[in-house]
Amino acid sequence: MVGLVTDVGGRGDHSFNDSALRGLESWSAGMALKSGDYQPLSATDIAATVPEALKDKVHPLGIKPLVVQSKAQEDYRPNLQLLVDQGADLTVGTGFMLENAVEAVAKANPEAKFLLIDSPLLDAKGTPITLPNVRTVVFREEEGSFLVGALAASVAKKQVGFVGGMEIPLIKKFEAGFRAGVRAVNPQLKVLIAYTGSFDNVAAGKQVAQDLFNKGSEVVFHAAGSDGLGVIQAAKEARAAGRNVYVIGVDSDQYPLAPEAVLSSMVKQVDFAVYQAVELLRQGQFTQGDIALGLKEGGVNYAPIRVELPEKEKIVATLEGLRAKVVAGEIKVPSNVSEH
Amino acid sequence: MLELFEALLYSTLDAAPALVFAAVGATFSERSGVVNVGVEGMMRAGAFAAAVAALVMPTPLGVLCGMVAGTGVAAIHAVLCIRGRADQVVSGIALNLVMLALGTFLLEALFTPSGSTSIAQLSRWTLPGFDKVPLLRALHNHSALTYLAMVLPFVAHAAVYRTPWGLRLRAVGEKPAAVAVMGVSVAQLRYTGVLISGALAGLGGAVLSTATLDRFEHHMPSGLGFMAVAAMIFGRWTPLGAAGAAAFFAFGNALRIGLTSSLPEISHYLPQGVLLALPYVLTLVVLAWQGKGASSAPAALGVPYNSERR
Repeated sequence: MVGLVTDVGGRGDHSFNDSALRGLESWSAGMALKSGDYQPLSATDIAATVPEALKDKVHPLGIKPLVVQSKAQEDYRPNLQLLVDQGADLTVGTGFMLENAVEAVAKANPEAKFLLIDSPLLDAKGTPITLPNVRTVVFREEEGSFLVGALAASVAKKQVGFVGGMEIPLIKKFEAGFRAGVRAVNPQLKVLIAYTGSFDNVAAGKQVAQDLFNKGSEVVFHAAGSDGLGVIQAAKEARAAGRNVYVIGVDSDQYPLAPEAVLSSMVKQVDFAVYQAVELLRQGQFTQGDIALGLKEGGVNYAPIRVELPEKEKIVATLEGLRAKVVAGEIKVPSNVSEH
Repeated sequence: MLELFEALLYSTLDAAPALVFAAVGATFSERSGVVNVGVEGMMRAGAFAAAVAALVMPTPLGVLCGMVAGTGVAAIHAVLCIRGRADQVVSGIALNLVMLALGTFLLEALFTPSGSTSIAQLSRWTLPGFDKVPLLRALHNHSALTYLAMVLPFVAHAAVYRTPWGLRLRAVGEKPAAVAVMGVSVAQLRYTGVLISGALAGLGGAVLSTATLDRFEHHMPSGLGFMAVAAMIFGRWTPLGAAGAAAFFAFGNALRIGLTSSLPEISHYLPQGVLLALPYVLTLVVLAWQGKGASSAPAALGVPYNSERR
């Protein structure tokens, strides 16, 4: 049995938690929660949720999932402990917000195994530490951002934009990768950068994006959490006003929010990170320590391009060419803006 | 240069209405002597109700439902503060907390935890001829609520400063006993003030979920209610002042956004955080500068009226 504790976003967030749940419930267990009960999924249903690049890597593992949702920060610790007490062979903490709780519960239960997504374990001073029974997974966001930067530069003629949330190192990784991707395809393009200063303010995201679109940005990539919904809305409205602009989403495939305006999304494959850990557990090869998942490991990706574009095949070929170079180590994507 | 200013103006007009409505609304409550820090919760109720109602009816009617919801929350505040003579700040804060949790709870029960289903966004007005004239173009292509936000502050100001009712409303916030002696009901005036405040805060919230975005998002209004209270104080408790301050905050924000994207070097000299904190710093400065002595805040603000003990 594999347990999973969501963060406060919970089931149905169309993002981080849903992705982790997909990795556990659909991919690893081959089941789906329907009206409070787990029902087996058919092979075609499962295959429909697996991206092309991971098709041959994902096979049902026959485990039993047990999911506990967190309603508040205070729930993390008791929820994790609950799963350990239920005899979970592995307990997954979804999201960096569970870092403290995973650390505490892992120390208290040295015989249980844990997986922490999106953050290393940190001590009180913020220095990374390791525990013998905890595996942590982080993503190389700069590599995914590199590809969507290249995509933006392939579509735009003169200018592209980037909207970040708070100006923190994590979001700077997105900016650095995006800039590098734009430069790899068209160094002449102008790149406008703006930060909203928050992750929870739709109106701020919209205002910032309107500014970038008004200044002539043709494609805008956002890494701004909920502010990004405003960015997508601004793109949608600009298109409705007859301007040919696009937006690139983040974390999960944000295409359903505005099918005509979302060019692609920089996807963190949280589902795959969970699946991979469960697979290793089944094979008896679960290891502790810090794992970083980039393009090579299938940890980040761009979502399928669903809008109609001239020369779409050529653009996809360019992106795949760049992906191959990053995977082969020929291109090293900077994770810091100052490396430019 | 002209284009830059036009973009600034457009951005301000698009972002300001929610703040303008809530700030103007707050003056009605506070002028009548009832502190309203519950604006945030009232806006949240308005945003939620408008988005949910618009699923089953035309969006403009949904906006009205948002106003009703804001009024409903304000009614609780009014009963607690006027009838129950509760501490007005505590009541406001409690309402904010309740609405934060209630919004999340209803969202999870009815939709997904992150937001409601999308609705038909409020349509934008195209003004014939305006789209060809530079600068005037900025007035073009907004929702009806933006135009309402340009007119409402003047109407509100006239109501408070040019009508007998407005005189009584202000008097009840300065010296309620004097109004009572004249045979006018203190409670009735205060109820009206608080309810108008709730309706306008609800309208401000509805702007967010029907014009800014096309659904309720679980963080709404993300602190805008507190900013509205700050704008009201900055505007010295007058409708026009509050609206002006709200527009000024929105313009300052648009300017910050415009400057940082056009001149990224500016962040080397002036950190973004300083600019983000500016509205609140200005409000503190105004508060410290004039205090209550300069008589901009109503004298009886925050004092429950007790006719037995005057």
